[in-house]
Amino acid sequence: MISLYLPERTWLHAVPAGWKLLALALISLVAAPLNSLPVMAGLLLAALVLYASLGKAALKQIALLRPLWPLFLILLAFHWWNGDITAGLVVLARILAMVLLANAVTMTTRMDAMMDAVEPLLAPLRLFGGSPRAVALAVAMMIRFVPLLFALWEALNDSWRARTGKRGGWRLLAPFCIQTLRLSHHTAEALAARGGAPRGDRR
Amino acid sequence: MPHAPLIQLENVTLTRGGRVVLDDLSLDIAERRVGLIGTNGSGKSSLVRLLNGLLAAEKGRVTVHGLDAATQAGELPRKVGFIFQNPDHQIIFPTVAEEIAFSLEQAGMPRREAAKEAVPALARFQRAHWAERPVHALSEGEKQFLCIIAVLVMRPALVILDEPFSSLDLPTRRRLESLVAGLEQQVILVAHELDAFEGYDRVIWLHAGRLRGDGPPEAVIAAYRAFAEALA
Repeated sequence: MISLYLPERTWLHAVPAGWKLLALALISLVAAPLNSLPVMAGLLLAALVLYASLGKAALKQIALLRPLWPLFLILLAFHWWNGDITAGLVVLARILAMVLLANAVTMTTRMDAMMDAVEPLLAPLRLFGGSPRAVALAVAMMIRFVPLLFALWEALNDSWRARTGKRGGWRLLAPFCIQTLRLSHHTAEALAARGGAPRGDRR
Repeated sequence: MPHAPLIQLENVTLTRGGRVVLDDLSLDIAERRVGLIGTNGSGKSSLVRLLNGLLAAEKGRVTVHGLDAATQAGELPRKVGFIFQNPDHQIIFPTVAEEIAFSLEQAGMPRREAAKEAVPALARFQRAHWAERPVHALSEGEKQFLCIIAVLVMRPALVILDEPFSSLDLPTRRRLESLVAGLEQQVILVAHELDAFEGYDRVIWLHAGRLRGDGPPEAVIAAYRAFAEALA
């Protein structure tokens, strides 16, 4: 199952969350307007070198990209049809590099550190009566539930295959949505049992 | 027998989905170890949810450790720890230490202090080595153990366990039972595993939202077994 956090400490775990997020934002800003295939290929290579430097467990996380391959295929097909396959390869390399870099931050940063780094940016929400802490908590919960949702999909698929001998595919979408809603209901109840989403800013 | 009831229900009625799940129920609970039994849909889970403020009674009054559940519901989670059947529904954070830190923060500790205190808190349960582990990598039993630790670090006066053993193997179940047995807090356990109430002070049997049996575990469980066998 895909985990979004690496328990084995790497050198990137020691870098403060704020610096990692800032670096990610700057790389995104710089990479967005560039259309050079060698530069984008270089960025992708750099991302892969970064993963190699983090060890085997990090390299395994590259499997995260597997569910995205239909999207990549459509993207390349579209550009090929437009007669500009090079542009397609540039876009593909950029997406791959940015997804890998973003995941590198997620898998080496604990959620509480991430929340501490992001919360000041959400401070304007207070003007509208919102709670930055509650939003940060929602992001943490989203990260926590990604592996659980993968497991839920796998369980539904197994259940389908056990009775049909085939993969469930799109047919699982409706039961998956229903189960996800049920999961969110139970989780909301469990959060309420522990006092609900914190609204204060006690650091 | 203790003196003052810690939990009081006075003529409580609760309807869910158009069905009466608790029907004019009155109870005084002062014992430290209380079991709650009954068939599916008998009102057990609804009753314990009233005690944590997750549900509100339509009629009647609920008092839990000095707090009125109607007017002081917001204060109940600090006083009443609640452990659910499925730990995956309860665990909020991606790593163990963050989950514990969240509980400490909810108990009133400043956030940075809570983050620092998480590992020592785990160490008190001999689980400091879990701190950096992603929660999805824990076994079902370990997840349930984490849920219990996350509740206990909030230092509640009452711990409610709502069918916590249903997905656990026997050795894991025994370990958790032993942990629960050693708690200083008042405990209410909802379970279908009738041997889990060994050593309990009192067992309450609910049926169709009403009290069907109440007293020492042996007598109530024997009556419940006879009832269940007659239904089978």
